[in-house]
Amino acid sequence: MGLARSGLFLSILLVWQLLSLRGLPAYVLSPLEIVRHFAAALGSAELYEHAGASLARSLPGFAIGTFFGALLGLAAGVARWFDRLLSPAVFLTYPVPKIVMLPIFMLWFGIGDLSKVLIIALACFYPVFINAYYGVKATPAILVWSALNMGARRDAIFRRVVVPSAAPMIFAGMRVALALSFIVMFAAEMINARSGLGHLIREAENSLRFDLMYVSLLAVAILGYVGDRLVRFAQRRLLAWQEQPG
Amino acid sequence: MKRFLPFAFPVILLLVWEAAARSGLWSPLLFPPLEKIGRELVLFFSKPESLLEAWVTLYRALGGFALAAMVGILVGMLMGRSKLVAGLLDPLFSGTYAVPKLALFPIFIFVFGIGSLSKVALVFLECLYPIVIMSYHGARSVNRVLLWSAQNMGASRGETLRRVVIPASAPYIFAGFRVAVPVAMIVVVITEMVSSADGLGYLVSYSLSSLRTDRMLAVVVAIALLGYLLDKAVVVARDRLIYWEKLDTYYV
Repeated sequence: MGLARSGLFLSILLVWQLLSLRGLPAYVLSPLEIVRHFAAALGSAELYEHAGASLARSLPGFAIGTFFGALLGLAAGVARWFDRLLSPAVFLTYPVPKIVMLPIFMLWFGIGDLSKVLIIALACFYPVFINAYYGVKATPAILVWSALNMGARRDAIFRRVVVPSAAPMIFAGMRVALALSFIVMFAAEMINARSGLGHLIREAENSLRFDLMYVSLLAVAILGYVGDRLVRFAQRRLLAWQEQPG
Repeated sequence: MKRFLPFAFPVILLLVWEAAARSGLWSPLLFPPLEKIGRELVLFFSKPESLLEAWVTLYRALGGFALAAMVGILVGMLMGRSKLVAGLLDPLFSGTYAVPKLALFPIFIFVFGIGSLSKVALVFLECLYPIVIMSYHGARSVNRVLLWSAQNMGASRGETLRRVVIPASAPYIFAGFRVAVPVAMIVVVITEMVSSADGLGYLVSYSLSSLRTDRMLAVVVAIALLGYLLDKAVVVARDRLIYWEKLDTYYV
């Protein structure tokens, strides 16, 4: 069944491999060649160093952005005055591409990792904030009324009713944020970095090392995929009571 | 008092900025005074050259987005209405959803050249995902009673698609658009910052490397404005087309 589901993917790979027999341009490697280069790279320390440098930027950024996004989003959903104070600014700046702040952050926080971590945190903040906010807003009023009726205090309602009801939305925001964190991490490293997968792909491009280009491409694809699976796994474990989306 | 609360945060931010600029603690390069940024912004909007750069960015973003919208709605509809297509394509899209497509950019440069085409292709690819996924959800969630009624009254497959399925999934499609438009802007600006000789992203990195941070910040404001206006345009179009269902958001 799993094989049938990935049938199209496998047949694309097969056609790609067959096309390479007829000769492809130098910048298109065949799947088997990519796998061979990737296996070779797995044996050397270089790939792990760059992947580690990338993760050391994207994961703290993701964690910081998600933490503040969930915290402030829940607060804005619950407290009217805080909503009025913060939400218009957040919604106004939401469609703005946050990566343009990178040069400014580089000026303020240096060209090291701090500016990159902060720009990733900024990009991750938005989807989590907005989802947490709508998650709170979408809490069924009848649940809150029942809790009030049964004598729950305000903090108990927040902890036991509002947060669990907003949690699925927050997780959906985290999935978007994780994908964004990899995009921004990669972009920041392509623009300016001395390490990381984005830097590796730029270096490979400049020295026409196509094998290295595909190796870092595959590495970042695997990281993105595994990260997404981990968030979904955490959601299934933490929200086992909730109906899972297909 | 309550009416002014939404303005409190931006005003405080601007005041802090101006205070930082005037304090003399930092170089004016780090915090250029607001007045200088404002002057650069006026200059930006009055010079035809810079408006041309904005146009370059805009057509790259919109070109990729429009292509993604056309292909994405088609694919999403097919996936939603046909089990076979969904079975073939769903694993492909959900499997590669979290993969940053941006990593393909260096390869795209070799395939499509360093000009606009590689950027438009990347915008297309990044925008395709949210649009396909949302149209797919929309086409799947069409009320079955509506489909049965349409069939019962003798509607053909094409008519059902045009008159029932597409209108019913339009709110989802527009939700996908609202995700895709900022993505298009992000991708265009990034690719222009990484490798380009034109566009607003290039202008940002060019102003920075010539140490004109006031100009750079003015361009950043212009990019922010462009992103905001594009999002607004999607919302306005949505409200005109989907008049029977209000956007149930508090802001925007």
